[in-house]
Amino acid sequence: MMAEPVLEARGLEKRFVVKKTLLGRPLLDVRAVDGVSLSLMPGETLAVVGESGCGKSTVGRLLARLIEPTAGKVLLDGQDITSLGHEAMRRQRRHIQLVFQDPYASLNPRMTVGQAIAEPLMLHEVVPAAHRAARVAELLDLVGLRPEHASRYPHEFSGGQRQRVVIARALAPQPKVIICDEAVSALDVSIQAQILNLLKDLQAKLGLSFIFISHNLSAVKHISDRVAVMYLGKLVELGTTREIFSEPRHPYTRALLAAIPAAVPNSERKAEGLKGDLPSPLEPPEGCRLHTRCPYAREACKTVPMVLDMEPSGHGNACAFWRELPPAEGLLPQAVSRDPKLDRLFAAFDEFTPRAMEDMA
Amino acid sequence: MTDIREQMTGAFPARTTQAGEAPRPLLEVRNLSVRFHDDGRTVHAVDGVSFTVEKGRTLGVVGESGSGKSVTSLSVMRLLPRHGAEIEGGVFFEGRDLLGESEGTMRDLRGNRLAMIFQEPMTSLNPSYTIGEQINEVIRRHRGISRSAARERAIAMLKLVRIPSPEVRYDQYPHNLSGGMRQRVMIAMALSCDPELLIADEPTTALDVTIQSQVLDLMKELQETTGTAIILITHDLGVVAEICDDVIVMYAGQIVERCPVEKLFSFPQHPYTVGLLGSLPRIEEDRERLVSIKGTVPGLSNPPRGCRFQSRCPFRTEKCAEAPPLREVAAGHFSRCWRAPLSEMPL
Repeated sequence: MMAEPVLEARGLEKRFVVKKTLLGRPLLDVRAVDGVSLSLMPGETLAVVGESGCGKSTVGRLLARLIEPTAGKVLLDGQDITSLGHEAMRRQRRHIQLVFQDPYASLNPRMTVGQAIAEPLMLHEVVPAAHRAARVAELLDLVGLRPEHASRYPHEFSGGQRQRVVIARALAPQPKVIICDEAVSALDVSIQAQILNLLKDLQAKLGLSFIFISHNLSAVKHISDRVAVMYLGKLVELGTTREIFSEPRHPYTRALLAAIPAAVPNSERKAEGLKGDLPSPLEPPEGCRLHTRCPYAREACKTVPMVLDMEPSGHGNACAFWRELPPAEGLLPQAVSRDPKLDRLFAAFDEFTPRAMEDMA
Repeated sequence: MTDIREQMTGAFPARTTQAGEAPRPLLEVRNLSVRFHDDGRTVHAVDGVSFTVEKGRTLGVVGESGSGKSVTSLSVMRLLPRHGAEIEGGVFFEGRDLLGESEGTMRDLRGNRLAMIFQEPMTSLNPSYTIGEQINEVIRRHRGISRSAARERAIAMLKLVRIPSPEVRYDQYPHNLSGGMRQRVMIAMALSCDPELLIADEPTTALDVTIQSQVLDLMKELQETTGTAIILITHDLGVVAEICDDVIVMYAGQIVERCPVEKLFSFPQHPYTVGLLGSLPRIEEDRERLVSIKGTVPGLSNPPRGCRFQSRCPFRTEKCAEAPPLREVAAGHFSRCWRAPLSEMPL
């Protein structure tokens, strides 16, 4: 049996006008997102990865209908939300929440944390006014903060704690989907790990679905069930996390994997670099958009249309010649066997509760 | 002490050590401490940091925000504000203490024998001059050669860092270049006078992974051909594993661990490093949960007495109330933990 997707993008396209004529007619536009179709299943984490300018954040904003698509639809529980009127859309917004990279920019410095978290409760009338304070305390507890934190201001918190506040606020309207746009990218590794663990726990507890937009493939591998890879506005590969990381098909995915710096010294890895720099998104190359940088490019790539060829299994890829590529082995380093004692040391950290959380001034 | 005026005319001490003399490290930082005074508070940003860098080696400096890694490197370059920053200790570059040198001497050294590249190339390049002009200026300043000879050298450097059509790029402005290309221009500029030491502060953090790997490969390759020693400051343990020979881990202004890079990854000897490695999502293995280091970094205006990591450390004992020294706990492996070697700790 097939579950229905909670959120679905069908043929999403977004053009931004870069230059206008004297009369205000568009002269030059950039196709930030060009024909992207995705579906997010209930309880699933779908990652959208790619480098700067690939359109991954635009996809996130389109999915939440923060911006209007030029073409295509977004379906929430099967209902087309791109055609909804203002009031109807406002009612649907509670189901799709966002968490951005910079938690400080996401919080109003003049509002206490409690006020920030209570606002969506108020807006969407999630709980009666009398229960709001209790609900705020519950939400703070859910993200690993203490109820008394509600009366403090954002500047009193560290980056990791602020991101927890932002997550609590996103959880407040009891959404179905949370779109995390580089939600852990600005955090130090140890804090990043805390937030990744928190997101996993929340998903298990609340059955949330996540769109996880990130350029950090190690974090993506850790948290996602499926991965969508984008390049210059196009989806180039879509598959389960295992498929993407162990049987990548598209040369771009392969190059991304080969480029991840791995914490394994002297690892023997296959070099599979891309040539040169990203072409201007204003004039994306004809044919396959990767052909100017692809190590396997051939003459036909200049004209072959770039379409995501979906297999019934759900693994799709946009390279017409992937079957003829050399095997994609050795792009990632081999896992090295670790001293079991080190694993016990790791485990000790998980069981440990610090003596005093001297974490705030 | 060499006469400063003599150095100003370009007569630097010979680069090769004389026969019979014990080889001394290219750079030796000895017991460096940096304090900032701000609003009546004193922030002890760097506290008793010592390390050496040998010719042709790459030293990684790892730590999270506020660990003191950037302040350490800025002190080596003498780039901290003279007022406000109180610096103690010694920074010996080929035996001379840079902290005692005049500003004029430092200007002669910077960009010449000591070079630095930063995270964000756009803020390091002047937007109103062509990139060629900016490299040219560095070369003329230190080599005293003609503008046209410097131009040739600059174009050769651009070619070296694999900027396509360097003659054309020479006359372009920073905004004409992509982020990866700008960082390569910075590297070209930094290496244009064959420095002995290059300090790279998060050189690839702002770059996309595929560009990052191009830049890292380039740095590795250039080091092999030029023999420049590199101090690479980064928060990314992956980058450390890729290109460093030795590594120091900093926490709350102190070095907590120092060792050859393989040892750090095979068996770290400081609890903080253990936590850091465990919290890293790994691309080469599957792990259900990441280790999280609970709590937060202590404030540096009033650091805890004793071990600075103790409030977050699962292996803490009473002894930790006393400040642990950085000591050799295994061959070539230094740790600032009373319980090290951690491999012998009963668990």
